[in-house]
Amino acid sequence: MGSKTENKGRFFIDFPARIKSIQAEMAKKNIDVYLGSRLRTLSWTLDAFCPWRSFVVIPAEGLPAAFSFVIDAARIADETWLPEEQVFGFAPMGGQDQIELISDYIKDLLKNGKGSVGIESGMSNYLPEGWLSHYEYQRFNNALEGCELINAHTIIDALSLIKDEGTINRFREASRIVDVGHKAVYEAITNGGWKGMTETEIAGLAALAMRREGSEWEWSFTGGNEIASGYRTGFTGGACTPATRRKLAAGEPLMVDIHAMFMLGLGDHSHNYLIAPVTDRQFWHAKNFTDIVALTLKTYKPGISPSLLADQMMAFAEDRGFSDYMVPGFEHGIGLLGDEWRIGLNNGPFPYWTNPDHVYQENEVLICAMQYACQDDNIGFRYENPIVITKTGCEEMSKFPLSVDEIK
Amino acid sequence: MAQKLRYLSPEWRDEAEKRLKAELSPKKMNNISSSMSNIYNNCPDGKTRYLVFRFEEGSLSELLVGNGEPPAAEFIITGDYEVLAKITRAELGAQKALMTGKLKLKGNMIKALKLASIADRLNKVLSTIPAQY
Repeated sequence: MGSKTENKGRFFIDFPARIKSIQAEMAKKNIDVYLGSRLRTLSWTLDAFCPWRSFVVIPAEGLPAAFSFVIDAARIADETWLPEEQVFGFAPMGGQDQIELISDYIKDLLKNGKGSVGIESGMSNYLPEGWLSHYEYQRFNNALEGCELINAHTIIDALSLIKDEGTINRFREASRIVDVGHKAVYEAITNGGWKGMTETEIAGLAALAMRREGSEWEWSFTGGNEIASGYRTGFTGGACTPATRRKLAAGEPLMVDIHAMFMLGLGDHSHNYLIAPVTDRQFWHAKNFTDIVALTLKTYKPGISPSLLADQMMAFAEDRGFSDYMVPGFEHGIGLLGDEWRIGLNNGPFPYWTNPDHVYQENEVLICAMQYACQDDNIGFRYENPIVITKTGCEEMSKFPLSVDEIK
Repeated sequence: MAQKLRYLSPEWRDEAEKRLKAELSPKKMNNISSSMSNIYNNCPDGKTRYLVFRFEEGSLSELLVGNGEPPAAEFIITGDYEVLAKITRAELGAQKALMTGKLKLKGNMIKALKLASIADRLNKVLSTIPAQY
């Protein structure tokens, strides 16, 4: 299922208009053809899941063309909004390898085979980002003789910053699905159900419940559904916890960070538990955590920046005596699949990291995210929830109640 | 037929057309509508030749041989005369020739994948024509 059959109703995204907006920016920057290779660019322009190396070629006017590894190209052609003849598969055959196929296609679009070609080059902490590799750059540069390759990813980054209604609704639906997953986990682990369970089992039962609701994938590259228990919740540098075969144990914390995907919109919500018996110290940590999450959600609004928000939250944590346990970051970026890392544009003091002074605007979507970790007490909690910045505040997309639940 | 026909000559073309029509039913050709142009570079006389197949709903509607610029086709396969002749003689598989870069294919690979076995069927029939290369 994909764009061809499902891009309608409240999930509709006007992809032809998106392409025209890219083409308008290309014209302003004197770029004749845009060669996109990042996963986020592919999702944003094709409305199809492209797990293999893929490219999109956007001409100055008219329809783009998608290129992917031939073994998966027919599925992409079936799912994307583009007509079938605009989707190509590449293969290790004469004239059909990705460099020759795409270069020939680009040259046919250019007057006398010459012009400027926008590419995507940069760096990321997100491994499947999909930047053009050095080798690919060299090969395209040689194959496109007479063309100038210009780094142009900012075009897509700027246009995709503010989300349209269809995108926001896809995120809302993915979050609704995540909430069903959380409910299934809650029901499974309460009343002694947790006994004998492993982290991987919890990840799986959440996945089953979410798939039943229509989730396409536990999309996170950090291990799908991230489940941590006991000391694993308390790593200070521990914002990534792929589930292990570790068994849940009495007296330990449990972190359930689950992910659903709906039409490339992403659900990502983390809920936390304490398995009885719970100590006063553990309750103290839990109260600190839920209080700072609630305050953070209340503080998000247009005009605030990541650094301003972090200052306020860390001041609160300092007043309450738990700042030592807070990782001083309260967000990560999010967009259609592949767009997961920094906030805003690449215009901060450290290239390709979040600009701490990025000013949030209405209809930006981000993950309100924070990590509370006390390694000495073997305890930690994580909060993640996609939020959309509204006119006056933010809307939490996951509606699962904020709490650290004690389970017996 | 004892007499050997010169490969890509008008006589060879006529015999090829006869055999393809007789041996490849529309069903065997999966009722395809498509066209393929083989471009022969470095022919023994130094020229470039083409061999064009056109199918309409599985029936061979056109088989052309000629020199110079070929007519438009959905798929264009380009290679040296020796390579394409080896394929016609069934001494070399078309897939292998493509995958080793001996041939170059132009056209949509997604559709080409579906037609790979059909191309093999064509070549199998052509290989039965006694020919002089």
